[in-house]
Amino acid sequence: MDAFWIIITGFLVASSTGMLGNLLLLRKMSMMGDALSHAVLPGIVVAYLISGSRASVPLFAGAIIMGVLTTFLIQFFSSKGKMQSDAAMGTVFTFLFAIGVILVTKFAGEADIDADCVLHGELAFVPLQTSTFLGLGVPAPVWTLLGLLAFIQLIFWTGYKGWLITSFNPEYARSVGIKTMIWHYTLMAATSVATVVSFESVGAILVIAFLVVPAATAYLITDKLPLMTIIILIHGLVSSTAGYFMSDLLEASISGSIAVMSFVLFVFAFVWSKKKG
Amino acid sequence: MEVFYKYLTLTDPNVRYVVLSIVLLGGVSGAVGSFNFLRKKTLVGETVAHSMLPGVLIAFLLSGVKNPYVLVLGAAISGWLSILLVDAITTHSKIKGDSALAIVLSSFFGFGIVLLTMIQGRYVGNQSGLDHYIFGNAAAMSPEDSVAFAWVSVAVLILVVANYFSLKAIIFNPDYAKSIGISRKRINGLISFITILSISVGIKAVGIVMMSALLIIPPTAARFWTQRFTPLLLISGFFGAVAGWLGAYVSYSQTSMPTGPWTIVAVSVIAFISMLFAPKRGVVYQRWNKLMLKRRINEENLLKTAVQNEVRGKGKLFTRTAISERQFFELKLWKRTIRRLVRKGMVTKVNTGYTLSGKGRRYGAEIDRRHKIWEVYLQRRMQMSVHLVHDEAETMEHFLTPEIEEEILGELGLCSRFNPILEIHELIPDTEVA
Repeated sequence: MDAFWIIITGFLVASSTGMLGNLLLLRKMSMMGDALSHAVLPGIVVAYLISGSRASVPLFAGAIIMGVLTTFLIQFFSSKGKMQSDAAMGTVFTFLFAIGVILVTKFAGEADIDADCVLHGELAFVPLQTSTFLGLGVPAPVWTLLGLLAFIQLIFWTGYKGWLITSFNPEYARSVGIKTMIWHYTLMAATSVATVVSFESVGAILVIAFLVVPAATAYLITDKLPLMTIIILIHGLVSSTAGYFMSDLLEASISGSIAVMSFVLFVFAFVWSKKKG
Repeated sequence: MEVFYKYLTLTDPNVRYVVLSIVLLGGVSGAVGSFNFLRKKTLVGETVAHSMLPGVLIAFLLSGVKNPYVLVLGAAISGWLSILLVDAITTHSKIKGDSALAIVLSSFFGFGIVLLTMIQGRYVGNQSGLDHYIFGNAAAMSPEDSVAFAWVSVAVLILVVANYFSLKAIIFNPDYAKSIGISRKRINGLISFITILSISVGIKAVGIVMMSALLIIPPTAARFWTQRFTPLLLISGFFGAVAGWLGAYVSYSQTSMPTGPWTIVAVSVIAFISMLFAPKRGVVYQRWNKLMLKRRINEENLLKTAVQNEVRGKGKLFTRTAISERQFFELKLWKRTIRRLVRKGMVTKVNTGYTLSGKGRRYGAEIDRRHKIWEVYLQRRMQMSVHLVHDEAETMEHFLTPEIEEEILGELGLCSRFNPILEIHELIPDTEVA
């Protein structure tokens, strides 16, 4: 039963972050996912310190604030400060991450938090936090992740046309009066929330594997957005199942194994797309 | 204060090697980062740094010991593989630059985590310290480490100096470099090599993320102070070294404070200060400059319009309404502008309105003259229609310097005392003036 819940959790993380990764990929800003997954760290720590627990609400608030702040700072540095855009991103997220690490070391004793758990996460602990529902012991993270998946699907499909137009043709979108910045900030806030929801199970840095790799695999196979989302879901299911068994075999980190497995799937897609030409 | 003095003079032998190592590391990575910065590939360092984790661990698994040289070699090999993989993905598929970086980064790092957890489960005791490669542990720097940093610094210095011209050519003018037979592949390889070299020795001291920050932030900060190649390298290296020195001080003077993150905070603060206060390119300077320009343009517009009204025989007294017929001034803007002009002695208040002083009239007339000269120039030399020249001249009148003016007059064959205010009507039809 534990295996089942772990695989389900991995699948939920992969499929919800994958949808966002899709948009990041189409907007050519996958490294922004990397930046956000590092930059939310101080938000997580401060939320822990304030609430004193791993309660979700302050954590989400912290994530959204950090996500918007990071996006704003990068935007500000590159437009007002005239920094090269990649350098602005690199400066902002490494700075925030450094602050986060300092806070973690400073307050490690006071809150139930340490750097390893934030960075690696541990899927193996997921089944320990069960609550009973319809006679089934459903782990709490599964509920949160189901909520996240629903939330992301809602954002994605209600704004489908907007995402399409602002991703593929931002110039045109601006010219017909669509506020591209609002879409941009929404995506960044959603990515930060997804990072934070997932970090407990897969860790803050490995979230990037879940954000980018499924989307890139799908993109190698097709250009059509609906089909891409289906491939992302399949990819999430296959990689988390295979990853679980790999970790069982090697006695290693589950989230790391899932990341490796999803890279293997990416390589298959890569070779396939090469052959197809 | 005593702590600071002790730190400054390096009397404490424990801190000596730490400071030496971190300052060298900061300096070298600052300079090396400049190359990636100028190629607009700053995030390569981030990917390479994360990708080194599995290399370090495989080297440990194969050798079974924590020999720093073996681990650095492992790190360098996997860093190099990651660069090759990024290149392969971008050239052989439709996935572009930064997605490829993110894919390789996360996959290698995930693999690293798998290896790390495997090792932690099996080699109890022997493996402790391997996780330093993620967060860094500068306090554990030994004399051998600072010697290693010194060697790396020397190697990077020699390589950069020996290939100085080729590096510069490839970065700033790749086409020219190609035409004189500089191999692009070789120089790009060289940049990758020194990047990998400095990251692989640095991650143990400051950790993966902090190492990539040391490559990104110093050149970003240095860019605000110069736009030339050599100064950029030097300033960037200097910032990196200073930040390392400050970071080591914080961790020395406070208990249980990590060096790497404080180094990054220090260098970020340097970058923020540079962005705000650097002369010429800093935000504050640019804002100030813009404000001054706006003020000057408003003043000049007001004076010019007042002079034009005088020439048109509308009297010497002017008010906001009279000026606004030709050049609209909002009330707030009018008040501010007129206050400055009064202070400068260009305008004097006369009970119901204002009048130009001699100085103000000369200045306004000069602006008007430049406007007309530019109109004439556009008409005669650029063959522009009379209906278009006015708007162009509205902007140019504020930027024509006496030198340019003289040149234009010379080119048009007009004498330097040419006064368009008197002669303009024969050049520009009345329809345009009205």
